[in-house]
Amino acid sequence: MNKVIFFFALSLISIHAYSQTTVISGGEIHTGLNEEPFVGDILIEGDTILEVSRNALKGDLIIDATNSIITPGVIAPDTQIGILEIGALSETRDGDSNMYSMGFSVYDAINPNSTLIPWNRSNGVTSAITLPDFNWDPLSGMASYFLLDGSLRVNGIPDIALTGEIGAISSGSRAESLILLKDLLEFASNLSEKDISSSMKISEAMESFEVAELMELQPRDVIALYNLLNKKLPLIINVNRASDILKLIDIKKLYGLNLILMSAQEAELVKNEIAKNSIPVIINPFDNIPDSFDELASSIRIAASLEEAGIKVMFSESRTHNYHLIRQGAGNAVANGMSYTGAIMALTSNVAKSFNIPDRGILQKGMKADIVIWEDDPLEPSTFPEKVFINGNDMDLTTRSSRLTKRYTDKRDLPNTYK
Amino acid sequence: MKKLFLVVFSLTLIINSFPAFESTYKPLESEKVLFINGNILDGEGNEFLNTDLFINDGKIVAIGQGISVDDEDVKIINAKNKWITPGIIDIHSHMGVYPAPSVRTSSDGNEATSPVTAEVWAEHSMWVQDPQYSLALKGGVTTFHVLPGSANLIGGRGVTVKNLQRNTIQSMKYPNAKHSLKMACGENPKRVYGNRGQAPSTRMGNFAGYRKAWIEAENYLDKLEAYDSKTDEDKMIESPPKRDLRLDTLSDVLKDEILVHIHCYRAEEMALMIDIAKEFNYKITAFHHGVEAYKIADLLADNGICGALWADWWGFKHEAYDMVQANIAIVDQARGGKGCAIVHSDDERGIQRLNQEAAKARAAGNKAGYDISKARAINWITSNPAKAAGIYSETGSLVVGKNADVVLWSGDPFSVYSLAEQVFIDGALAFNRNTGFGPVSDFDVGIVDPREDRVNE
Repeated sequence: MNKVIFFFALSLISIHAYSQTTVISGGEIHTGLNEEPFVGDILIEGDTILEVSRNALKGDLIIDATNSIITPGVIAPDTQIGILEIGALSETRDGDSNMYSMGFSVYDAINPNSTLIPWNRSNGVTSAITLPDFNWDPLSGMASYFLLDGSLRVNGIPDIALTGEIGAISSGSRAESLILLKDLLEFASNLSEKDISSSMKISEAMESFEVAELMELQPRDVIALYNLLNKKLPLIINVNRASDILKLIDIKKLYGLNLILMSAQEAELVKNEIAKNSIPVIINPFDNIPDSFDELASSIRIAASLEEAGIKVMFSESRTHNYHLIRQGAGNAVANGMSYTGAIMALTSNVAKSFNIPDRGILQKGMKADIVIWEDDPLEPSTFPEKVFINGNDMDLTTRSSRLTKRYTDKRDLPNTYK
Repeated sequence: MKKLFLVVFSLTLIINSFPAFESTYKPLESEKVLFINGNILDGEGNEFLNTDLFINDGKIVAIGQGISVDDEDVKIINAKNKWITPGIIDIHSHMGVYPAPSVRTSSDGNEATSPVTAEVWAEHSMWVQDPQYSLALKGGVTTFHVLPGSANLIGGRGVTVKNLQRNTIQSMKYPNAKHSLKMACGENPKRVYGNRGQAPSTRMGNFAGYRKAWIEAENYLDKLEAYDSKTDEDKMIESPPKRDLRLDTLSDVLKDEILVHIHCYRAEEMALMIDIAKEFNYKITAFHHGVEAYKIADLLADNGICGALWADWWGFKHEAYDMVQANIAIVDQARGGKGCAIVHSDDERGIQRLNQEAAKARAAGNKAGYDISKARAINWITSNPAKAAGIYSETGSLVVGKNADVVLWSGDPFSVYSLAEQVFIDGALAFNRNTGFGPVSDFDVGIVDPREDRVNE
């Protein structure tokens, strides 16, 4: 019944929405660019930001955001949102392939009805990059980007990056992983467009590369390798030890990789090299624990230290269900020396720029209207969003959690099942 | 022969009554400190703005406005615009038993070889050089309780520890604090043992396992008591019941000498565990994790059981699916505020910022319609965990005569930007962010750069 009314209301709106404009008025705007926040208005038409201004703007619908804080929607850079429902239940996880490696795409597995989507959306995350599982392979599957709008036809960009991992393994050597990475890249660098034009051509190319057979590479793995170098796809490598990071920088230079470091807990020790080579870094700002012998130099200072070196920083959170907690992480980064503006950029524009998402992450004319209106400082974990817009749509913020809260704070003397 | 027996027998008695692994804790040298004009959350539900606090000889001596101490030795700390709280207490930690780096060789928290291992003690697994203790100290944690893991129905004894890192576990043990008994409901025990084709493999198997263990404990206690009630003459000729470490622990629970802490997520399982406690006449101190505690908040309040909970963890397993962020607030506010809520960490990152976790839980509660003050919410990480660890008469709140476990915060502890500036344990400075004074574990010494300590922030 509710659904019918909602649908009906929506269709009424859409009749008027043809040229309807909305103004978010009087909020403190953090654009996601490296600039001071200002009080102003944002004009939206359809899915697009028409104008961001310090002056009052006119529109059909005015949303009063006085005393609120406005930021771009948070973009989550390394989640498993959409491909994982319950961690311990493998049948609810879709992050792993037995058949493909580099060519494995998770995009088709994304479940728009996952409860993680409304939950993270209601906490200010408007889009996410979802990664396949890491299996300690130097190169593994592809990451996809999508909007947390719950659309049954997923709105996103499939296969925007490749993933991989270098570091301590319980059997074997990291030297082997690094050699394998180089061998794969060497193979990829010799591929021509003609080599990947058909399965037969790909098979021929693979015959010249013994490792391909040993790894049981499939044609689509080879295509992914080709795209990595020729389309300059971002390559996210999960790595921690400082010396491993330096090796990866050498490899990046040799093959012109678009490298993104992830976790990188010892990045501080080699921050100047990372900065000099313009490599973005995804860090977990909470993670100051020396969890392994690869991350002995981990420190709570990492965010501030990398920012100071001029590195583009992004934030991650180890628990995908609560990925929105990257803003608490961002608050902790600020408490430990990072700039506030830098922390907002880390949650928004730095992700868009690092992953070549051209039209999101910044509040600016021409950008898609992914916008969050916060009741207070978004880096305080006790602050909630008032409104979340994705593609200009004012999203419903109901979650399973908010429904259960209502049910169990309802004081009527009825079984829970009748509330 | 008989003589020999007597000698052995009396020796047994001595061993039995000797407190094993007794605390040898000694505080650092305490200071006379007068905090002036601080904002105080006392852990008893009060907020005192612009108020002074005087500590001396390891104890809290006075709280009030305009305290003057006529003593040249007193150290005066200007706490204007800063906040003061009791030392933070974490009731659920695995530091030491799952230390960093997390390697197989030091992963000592679960004796997952039998579903009932009441005979094992977490303190015998604790690595005293774990670099995580000092990170927790920087988050204001002065006391923490270390539990065995949750692989077993009954996992063993937990221990309360002062966060004053030293080279023996006895020297860190909280003096005279009761042990806990760690029990676990639900998915973990049935998964661990079910996968091996042994009991329990179902939730009903779990419950049969608990009851079986308590029946054994009752029989053991009956035998002990029957022996104790004998005349001295009879005791000379009759040998005492054979000592059993496993049943020692369980019978100590029945004698109310050990506090029961239960890892349990689902509402219906918690309700059933309460009935088992009634069946065997012991008390449950707290349910831990309790993602569904809000569904039976009144039942917990009626039975005087605390919920030691996370602010927002969910989804890592099916029994942790029905998360509401107001969980802690709902438990706290049950029966008109008679509930006992605790924010626990179970996590070496979370333990460094329990104040932020409390801030989230409070905000979610107030969003759900409650009106919970900071002065109330600070109890979730101070006095309530002190009660659950059985040390509330000594610590957990800023009350005259109690131990001076005190945190000076750079600002409002419910803000993400506030950091613990100074931490006092028993009136002695244990950490000072401004001077860099604090503990450095042996692990941290020279391990990255031989000339430096691992963490020098």
